[in-house]
Amino acid sequence: MSSPMHQDKRVDQAAVTDESLMAAHEKLIGKQPDEKAHYKLAPLALLFLFSGLIFFGGTYLGRFSGHFHPKVYNEYAMPPKAGEVAAAPAVDPIVLGKAVYAQVCASCHQPNGMGLPPAFPPLAASEWVASEERAIRIVLYGLEGPIKVKGVDYNGVMPAAGPGSGFNLSPEKIAAVLTYIRQEWGNTSGPVTAAKVAEIKGKEGNRAAMKVAELEKLP
Amino acid sequence: MTNVPTHAASAEVTPTDTHARGPLLLLIGSGLLWLVISGVLALITAIQLRTPGFMADCAWLTHGRAQALRESTFIYGWLANAGLAVALWVLGRLGGSPLRGLNWAVIGTLFWNTALAVGLVGIATGDMSGFAFLQLPRYVLPAMAIAYAAIAVPGVLAWIGRRNDTTFAAQWYAVAALFILPWILAAAQLVLLWLPVRGVVQAIAATWYAQAAWTLWLAPLALAGAYFVVPKTAGKLMPNYDFASLGFWTLMFLGAWTGGRHLIGGPVPAWIATMAVMAGSMLIFHYLVVFLNLRIATGSSGEAAKYIRFGLLAYILVGVLELYTSFRSAALGVQFTFLAVALEQLALYGAVSMLFFGAIHFLVPRITSRPWASAGLAAGHRVLVSIGIVVLLVALCAAGSTQAGLLADAKVSFGEITQRIGLPLLGVISAYLLLLAANLLLLVNFLQTALAFSGPSVQPQTLFRQPAALEGSAT
Repeated sequence: MSSPMHQDKRVDQAAVTDESLMAAHEKLIGKQPDEKAHYKLAPLALLFLFSGLIFFGGTYLGRFSGHFHPKVYNEYAMPPKAGEVAAAPAVDPIVLGKAVYAQVCASCHQPNGMGLPPAFPPLAASEWVASEERAIRIVLYGLEGPIKVKGVDYNGVMPAAGPGSGFNLSPEKIAAVLTYIRQEWGNTSGPVTAAKVAEIKGKEGNRAAMKVAELEKLP
Repeated sequence: MTNVPTHAASAEVTPTDTHARGPLLLLIGSGLLWLVISGVLALITAIQLRTPGFMADCAWLTHGRAQALRESTFIYGWLANAGLAVALWVLGRLGGSPLRGLNWAVIGTLFWNTALAVGLVGIATGDMSGFAFLQLPRYVLPAMAIAYAAIAVPGVLAWIGRRNDTTFAAQWYAVAALFILPWILAAAQLVLLWLPVRGVVQAIAATWYAQAAWTLWLAPLALAGAYFVVPKTAGKLMPNYDFASLGFWTLMFLGAWTGGRHLIGGPVPAWIATMAVMAGSMLIFHYLVVFLNLRIATGSSGEAAKYIRFGLLAYILVGVLELYTSFRSAALGVQFTFLAVALEQLALYGAVSMLFFGAIHFLVPRITSRPWASAGLAAGHRVLVSIGIVVLLVALCAAGSTQAGLLADAKVSFGEITQRIGLPLLGVISAYLLLLAANLLLLVNFLQTALAFSGPSVQPQTLFRQPAALEGSAT
């Protein structure tokens, strides 16, 4: 029952009927590998491979899942323990101080710390910066009235920057910015701690701007 | 073994096929039309990548919109229509009775394509959603989910009312695809567009949908056709068929979990990206089973088998590459480059579309009872589309690997990178030209075949050789 059309390239011929296709494959599913008591190699190899893939996937997931914690973003990290407060990352006071200086101080004292006569005195090599007690008070409460720096008279008003002021800098930030200023532009004074700033703030309380006469009593 | 049909149902073409002619031709025809439209849009987007000023004055076709239009016409126009036609036909053939409820399919097809057209105008006028694979504006999506379910009705009825108690792998994949899209489309539009979840969860939901649309919807549609056509044309038992169901369920359980690979380096919990490696490595088993089962395609003859061999090779390759790019170190060089685009095109064009082309080539003469209008056009399409896909992938890989190297170098400016990949992008443009030409050939051939009502009517008995019974089927 062959006709010329059967060789027509425009039609793909089927080799088997649908019924036999389904019936033959159904029989394959029912067949157990140990029928007649001998195992076939391919099904066993496939099962071993599947188990191997499950093992690999499971191990990989266990190793790099971060215990499925929603706040673990790094696959090498472990979730924080219950009740554990994540330690605040250490902040370099020089980096923080430089940022605060650029934000708060630099507009008057200039990025190079040279100030802008006649109102804004320099910080570089300033004897006032070298005194920790005086410098902390000036930043906390501001300064009013004339001041002599490196033999030159300046007269301006420095606003307060401490807690509660317009800038509302925390003791940590004040300590950082003073630490930065006291080692920059050739200054060689030591670092200022936040505890020292908080101590002076506790001693002085809330008060008006400092005067030069008050500061000169301090070391 | 005899060649004389014992009863009507064992003939190669039965009323089962001719009964479904109209609805299936409508689906395939709409699909091919969208494919050509998508090809034009692909050409526009490819030219824009090389010449940014191209069509820049036309608000409807600026690059972002043209890209979304291309993707939406390709997935929801071409792949959806063609895949549904294949799935319905396979379920009808293997169900053993003529398809019932075909009116649902016709009305569903009209609504699906109308909603898609409205959605495309929405994208062009600025209503696109911005989620990959789900760019259509939300106001057409409920209609599309319902229309898809309506088109699926004949397939589900054929599955429920099947004559045989036994089932076949092609049926599993077809039925799964019919049920899965309405579910994922409804779920995704609910959590992304109607009641949007916030923050990182949104990105996770979007990648879940994009991955599920490919692994749980389009891949099963393509496999449904392949699992039917390959053994039919090869005339052999599929080796290791007893593992086919395990391969099927592996895909169903793990397919969507591989979406996390798109989120590597994003602000998502580490386990989501890690899960993609786990799922991807276990899916290797699925790809291996598909390869083992369908490797008899090497013995098939005919045009359809040639498409399917190409498609299967691409499909296996996609599985391996998806696993590879799930590893964080590999993703570093692939993410945000044309290599990622190449992988997507390998999946959607190289694998799914080629498997659809093969199935369509096999089924159209059976539902029309007519041979293809032209053997030359059919062969021309196959050759051009194969070359086009290969050129496209090579060009995208060349562009992508250049990008991957240069993007990691802070000293190279973005503009310079764009200039350096100018030549590969020219390759992409020529590939899309080839693909457009190829698909035009297919559209012409299809229209000539489908609309040749006045042509000589051919008796199925003279057109199709009576197939034999498969060895081992006798009880």
